[in-house]
Amino acid sequence: MNKIRKRYVPFMKAGVQSLIIYRMNFLGFIIGGLIYCFVMFYLWRAVFDSNGGGMFLGFSMTDMVIYLFLSNTTSQLTFSSVSNDIGEEIKDGSIAMRLLKPVNTDLSYLFNELGGVLLKLVIFVIPMILGLEIYRYCVTGTIMFNAINFLLYVLSAILAYIISFRINLCFGFIAFYVKNLWGIGILKNSIIGFLSGSLIPLAFMPEVLRLCLEYMPFASMSYTPVMIYMGKYGAYEILFRLGIQVVWAVLLYGLSKLIWLGAIKKLCVQGG
Amino acid sequence: MIYAEHLRKEFKKIVKEPGLKGSFKALFKPKKEIVVAAQDISFHVPKGDILGFIGPNGAGKSTVIKMLTGILTPTSGECRINGKIPQNDRKKYVKEIGVVFGQRTQLWWDLPLQETYLVLKEIYEVDDAKFKKRMAFLNEVLELEKFIKSPVRTLSLGQRMRADIAASMLHSPKVLFLDEPTIGLDVVVKDNIRQAIMKINKEEQTTVILTTHDISDIELLCDRIVMIDKGKNVYDGSLHELRENFGQTRELVFEADDDSGLTEEQFRKSLKLGKEDLVIERDKNNFKVRFNSAKIPVGDMLSHTLSVTKVKDISVKDSDIEEIIRNLYRQGEVSDE
Repeated sequence: MNKIRKRYVPFMKAGVQSLIIYRMNFLGFIIGGLIYCFVMFYLWRAVFDSNGGGMFLGFSMTDMVIYLFLSNTTSQLTFSSVSNDIGEEIKDGSIAMRLLKPVNTDLSYLFNELGGVLLKLVIFVIPMILGLEIYRYCVTGTIMFNAINFLLYVLSAILAYIISFRINLCFGFIAFYVKNLWGIGILKNSIIGFLSGSLIPLAFMPEVLRLCLEYMPFASMSYTPVMIYMGKYGAYEILFRLGIQVVWAVLLYGLSKLIWLGAIKKLCVQGG
Repeated sequence: MIYAEHLRKEFKKIVKEPGLKGSFKALFKPKKEIVVAAQDISFHVPKGDILGFIGPNGAGKSTVIKMLTGILTPTSGECRINGKIPQNDRKKYVKEIGVVFGQRTQLWWDLPLQETYLVLKEIYEVDDAKFKKRMAFLNEVLELEKFIKSPVRTLSLGQRMRADIAASMLHSPKVLFLDEPTIGLDVVVKDNIRQAIMKINKEEQTTVILTTHDISDIELLCDRIVMIDKGKNVYDGSLHELRENFGQTRELVFEADDDSGLTEEQFRKSLKLGKEDLVIERDKNNFKVRFNSAKIPVGDMLSHTLSVTKVKDISVKDSDIEEIIRNLYRQGEVSDE
């Protein structure tokens, strides 16, 4: 463990370092997400208003606000750009330098990103949750914060990140075959955006579709942690959902390893 | 130490016809073509040797280096370094080698240089005492102190290259692969880098494979050269042998005191040489006599010249290795057509 820490923490440092140097990038990412949240907020408010206020499919407007902001925040937290990174490295051939280091490729990518994830948790997610709780207090007049749900949310979000990371790794390795990942990346992001429920809560979807999507790995990426935080699941269901997340994490781990083994033989380093 | 046996690497390439129409065609009905980057390359390098791996642009040098370092998998053939097949256990294998690709960097772009070395120290598990000693050595040869605190992205090309070379040597690799380590550098930096390579080779018996287009790199560093062209071996032997076999031309340069009617015919006649064995270039009183030293020994040539004219200044030049290589490359082109 100590060995892993010593060897891979530098990757994390390097990741954070470049975030700090290119901080406008990072900031833009967060602000862009917030703007998007507000757009969604007004959209949904119109939906609720036209519905005469009150409950809509089991969601109150307050629930909806929490859901929108938190699911967006969570998807930003669990967002993994590793497929882009791999794509870039393949495009310019710098993947060669990574392969020349005696480190595990997966782990080096993971730690590269982990620093950013922690940073997002501290400067974005926690303030956001604080803000949402204050909002909820102002609207309902009671403190609804539940520490256990919060901790379960963090646990579920970690699993969500692992799943997101592995999915992106699988996508990234496709770059070994197609050389340039940009188009596929856009496709991937819109698929994930829809299937993960960060655009429309899965609870609003038709029963059959919802059931299918809830078992897919995409739902685990933001829907599950948010629903847990909001207390929409009972104790038994929380365990069940976490179980699904673990199963997906393991399956995707295997899949990414498998793709990697095939991809490495296909590798062609471009340029130089 | 290093064995490469019949290495071959093919790539699939999508051929695009020119123009917009061609682009569309390639989009819907891609025409694939197989490009052979390395056809059949074999050589071996004993421990402690410095091998100059040369060839014209596009000969397949980098492809071979990438196969030897385990980044690319050969289509067929095999390479074995230190008894290991690079592709089989990448993580273990790369620990024993150091690699520099002149056109890329292995340094962390955004970190200060010093940090990069600390990172590499952890990755390669170099212990503290060894690391300290190593850094002192690298500092001395490559003069890193001046910029060791700057972020890598702010370094000049010469600084970056020195830093990269140092990074590749940090963990005392058994084999060092240097792909154009002196590309685009000035004389002083080149000299720095050559010194470092030479020292590490002498002190630690590091085996080095070096590709370069700079002939002086080869003359100064390499015991042996392997030349490839169009993905095939063209020449394999020592630099000395190359000269013997291909470059028996010597050049006698002198300035004559007076113009005592020196002509090519006269020289050829009195020395009994054919047209191709002796050529004289003349610029006023400065003479350049190029002759085949296999036909006439250098000593005879000298004494003959001195007997026919009074000279101010005289020197004999070895055949230029660059010239020989140029000829070899050209031969390749001719035989190809």
